[in-house]
Amino acid sequence: MKATMHSFPYFRTQPSRLTAYSSGLKTPLHIRNFSIIAHIDHGKSTLADRLLQMTEAVSERDAKEQLLDSMDLERERGITIKASAVTVTHEYKGETYQLNFIDTPGHVDFTYEVSRALTACEGALLVVDATQGVEAQTVANAYLAINNDLELIPVINKIDLPTARPEDVAMEIEQVLGLSTDDCIYCSAKTGEGIMEMLDCICEKLPPPRKSEVKETRALIFDSHYDDYRGVVVYIRIFDGSLTVGDKVRMMGTGRTFTITELGRYTPTQTKSKTLGHAEVGYMVAAIKSLEDVRVGDTITLDTNPANEALPGYEEPMQVVFCEFYPATQTEDSGKKGDYETLRDAINKLHLNDASFTYEPIHSEALGFGFRCGFLGLLHMEIVQERLEREGGVEIVQTAPTVSYQIELRDGTLVEIHNPADLPDLSNVVSIREPIVKLEIICPTENIGDLMKLCDGRRGTYKSQQFISQTRQILDYELPLAEIIYDFYDKLKSITRGYGTMDYEITGYRADRLVKVNILVNNQPVEALSIICHRDIAEKRSRLILQKLRKQIARHQFEIPLQAAIGGKIIARETIKGVRKNVTAKCYGGDISRKRKLLEKQKRGKKRMKTVGSVNIPQEAFLAVLEQE
Amino acid sequence: MPTHLTTLSINGQQSSAYKSTADLGIVRELYSPDASPAGAYIHIPFCFHKCHYCDFYSLVENRGREAAFVARLVDELRIIGGYLKQPLRTIFFGGGTPTLLETSLWQDLLRAINQHLPIAQNAEITVEANPETVRPDLMDLLAKGGINRISIGAQSFQPDHLKALERWHDPENVKRAIVLAQESGITNINIDLIFAIPGQTLNDWLTDLDTAISLSPSHLSCYGLTYEPNTPLTEKLRQGRIIRVDEDLEAEMYEATRKKLTEAGYEQYEISNWAKPHYQCQHNLMYWNNKNWWAFGPSASGHINGLRWKNVPHLGEYLKATDLPSIIDVEKLDEDGQVGEALMLGLRLTQGIKLIDLDALLLKGKQGKERLCVIDQHTQSGLLEKTADRIRFTAKGQLLADSVLSDLI
Ligand SMILES: Nc1nc2c(ncn2[C@@H]2O[C@H](COP(=O)(O)OP(=O)(O)O)[C@@H](O)[C@H]2O)c(=O)[nH]1
Ligand code: SF4
Ligand SMILES: [Mg+2]
Repeated sequence: MKATMHSFPYFRTQPSRLTAYSSGLKTPLHIRNFSIIAHIDHGKSTLADRLLQMTEAVSERDAKEQLLDSMDLERERGITIKASAVTVTHEYKGETYQLNFIDTPGHVDFTYEVSRALTACEGALLVVDATQGVEAQTVANAYLAINNDLELIPVINKIDLPTARPEDVAMEIEQVLGLSTDDCIYCSAKTGEGIMEMLDCICEKLPPPRKSEVKETRALIFDSHYDDYRGVVVYIRIFDGSLTVGDKVRMMGTGRTFTITELGRYTPTQTKSKTLGHAEVGYMVAAIKSLEDVRVGDTITLDTNPANEALPGYEEPMQVVFCEFYPATQTEDSGKKGDYETLRDAINKLHLNDASFTYEPIHSEALGFGFRCGFLGLLHMEIVQERLEREGGVEIVQTAPTVSYQIELRDGTLVEIHNPADLPDLSNVVSIREPIVKLEIICPTENIGDLMKLCDGRRGTYKSQQFISQTRQILDYELPLAEIIYDFYDKLKSITRGYGTMDYEITGYRADRLVKVNILVNNQPVEALSIICHRDIAEKRSRLILQKLRKQIARHQFEIPLQAAIGGKIIARETIKGVRKNVTAKCYGGDISRKRKLLEKQKRGKKRMKTVGSVNIPQEAFLAVLEQE
Repeated sequence: MPTHLTTLSINGQQSSAYKSTADLGIVRELYSPDASPAGAYIHIPFCFHKCHYCDFYSLVENRGREAAFVARLVDELRIIGGYLKQPLRTIFFGGGTPTLLETSLWQDLLRAINQHLPIAQNAEITVEANPETVRPDLMDLLAKGGINRISIGAQSFQPDHLKALERWHDPENVKRAIVLAQESGITNINIDLIFAIPGQTLNDWLTDLDTAISLSPSHLSCYGLTYEPNTPLTEKLRQGRIIRVDEDLEAEMYEATRKKLTEAGYEQYEISNWAKPHYQCQHNLMYWNNKNWWAFGPSASGHINGLRWKNVPHLGEYLKATDLPSIIDVEKLDEDGQVGEALMLGLRLTQGIKLIDLDALLLKGKQGKERLCVIDQHTQSGLLEKTADRIRFTAKGQLLADSVLSDLI
């Protein structure tokens, strides 16, 4: 029933567990704000745990107990357990350093989310697994940090493993990112080896926060989350001036004002503070009711003495991948509404914590009530679905993802559509533009040929190729997003026997020979089945769709033509033969009740199906068509 | 006689198992004249081998329990007989394999029905027979005991097709059985045939029909093979060990049956039944006309004025009872349900339902208008047709009866 896309095994949703505690912060002499970035599973979370543990003031045992206690409490009270920025201290050369470790919020694999955290830092630890080497997201994240002018410390992790090849990996880092092998820290987040050196290196190498540029207060919002009791908790990095409880603040982007009721740091338990000073990182509570009122990237200033200019924020992420969610269980008659409402509540609630996906209620004649949702990427889509199911307790039917299209109209305007059914009258359309991505693949050299074939077959344009080491290469391609939301990642994994990794970034929209294919059942167009695709593959896609439909739609009393058409032109056709025989052979005394129940069941089944041109199309047919090939 | 008669309201509800028709007050209903059954069905639950398509309640290797079973059945006949006010017009011994019973046990059984049940003058009394078990002494006994119709399970005349069904008998014995029955004076004879057996061709089937016609039975039942749940045949199909006959071929077989049997002088009167004039099965007509009948023996189903039930399909339970058997699946439908059922049954008849009866049915319940629409729609699409006084399936509609009935039910 469930039409999900391929799953991305390099993705994880658990928030990092932070197991350190530090108390009694004095006004710091030195501040270092940094993030940890890594490809998935290279050890970011483990390293963060270890790092916090080794900076703690109390014993490891106490730390764990204390943390657990507070987490249980938080759980009981239903507060989100999430620390987006943790403050610890470290003694280096006889001086106390305040280290603000800014966790890349939520899901590290999202460049847009990583970039939020990076804006608030001066440096970053780039963690690379000593057994795996540089991978696609190592590169993507590293460039993100470099573009944000951050100082990078390459950290080669897992050196305790027998298959570790730290020197080779250091070479790869130098080769690909131009970071000298001499600057690498070798460590094991598992055994603790090299961690002290790493802490020292943070103090030594990472730049101190820049001096205030203006007299007025300016703080950057780099993340936020919703707390059932206090409303929105905003994570901030103060660049200029300071904030004090009771201050009336203004969000420079939205113009909205709030009064600060609480300030503090995570150490990693919440530690309240009357003020947050220059260059510090912490949280703010100000009776903000909804995440909609807060824009990540916005600048906070004092309402009484506002700054003239906001801090450079970052671009609002754009939703480029769309799909529909429907409740999977639709209790036969009256229950239907209930299931939809459960889904709606779950979506509303999740949106409080992740405002980066969009949703709007829709009604599909075929699938009932549901939501059309927009995501920043494929992984984002998967996470949202997973969280809705896990946290919201709803089972979801997800339709296949589609991309957003920009439609250029005759009158010169551009409209964006998220659903092929919304395509305006074609006589007004000049062109259909689709999102284009820059794709970076890191793979074993021997797979380059096959991967190039794969990309070429997906309307890809070759960009470049670069050696990382003797055995591995980076391959850059440009291709339409629509071409990778299908089975691309699975193909990549199978070609490289699991060794290949990829990352992509939307670079813009471009027109191509895109067409809308209408599917006609018994000569009636069925909007919910229409697709937008490239003209060259329209026949092939259409045939697959029609074949699936033919399997899903039961034979009727008459012959049913299934057609795919571009405008008035039929490009594919299938036929469902009429039923010849559907009759119960025997119906005697002992059969009557059972036969009646069977017929009644069939009757209910027919009622649940959507009727198009007197053809009953079961829900499964819509989903089968929407599934990936 | 049952002493603890109670009346329970069981509208639409399935009652729990292990109460009898007496406990539920059904028996007492029989006192009212309009509840009096027109027929009786008597189930004999023994076979010498289990056919692979069979979902009837029947036991093999249980011959040792036949005597106890007949004794119990005789008791049941005696008890119910006491309530029956009007003579029965049909009695049907089904199974299982009724002819498997020892001749002496049949003696007891025949004595019991004649002694305890009121039987109409020219009642139709049928016994189902397996060709292998038909023997001269039994046929004579049956004929003398009032049996006037034999229904022979031939299914196919071709050994490989019988094998496909795991049906054990020598096709030659069908003819022998008919001759024996006729010699004892039973001339009303039905042959059961099955078509669309895996591996069967249209020609194979036509040959079977020719063979059957050459034996000139008065009645022929021809069933498209049904894959019933929980049968070995269905399991084999699921495992892909047999291939189901293509739907189009099955339809052709059915159409060929209609043509051939009509030419041979048989008249179709129900979806799967053909008879020489005046030889329609009265007992089965009773089902399709939705009349009342009483049920005897394990797994037998009864019907009195919209109330249906089934004796517990368990020989052990049946033998344990001291008066009437426990029943399950007790069901009394609301008006809409009853109308649906009447339509489902009545339209199986080739002549269909009388328009006056249809009008009366559509006035009942809440779905009359909706049903009228469905009837109009299917009349337009050529699956139903109206004659001067009846509504019925067209020839094409008969093949698609369930498609229509699942709208109409
Ligand atoms: N042997 C060893 N395993 C490690 C080390 N660091 C992390 N791991 C393991 O690598 C896996 C991924 O680590 P995790 O911290 O969750 O990676 P993340 O996805 O980058 O956060 C886990 O099974 C860790 O236990 C290390 O230094 N040595
Ligand atoms: S003879 Fe009839 S009742 Fe017995 S197993 Fe075969 S089909 Fe079933
Ligand atoms: Mg992690």
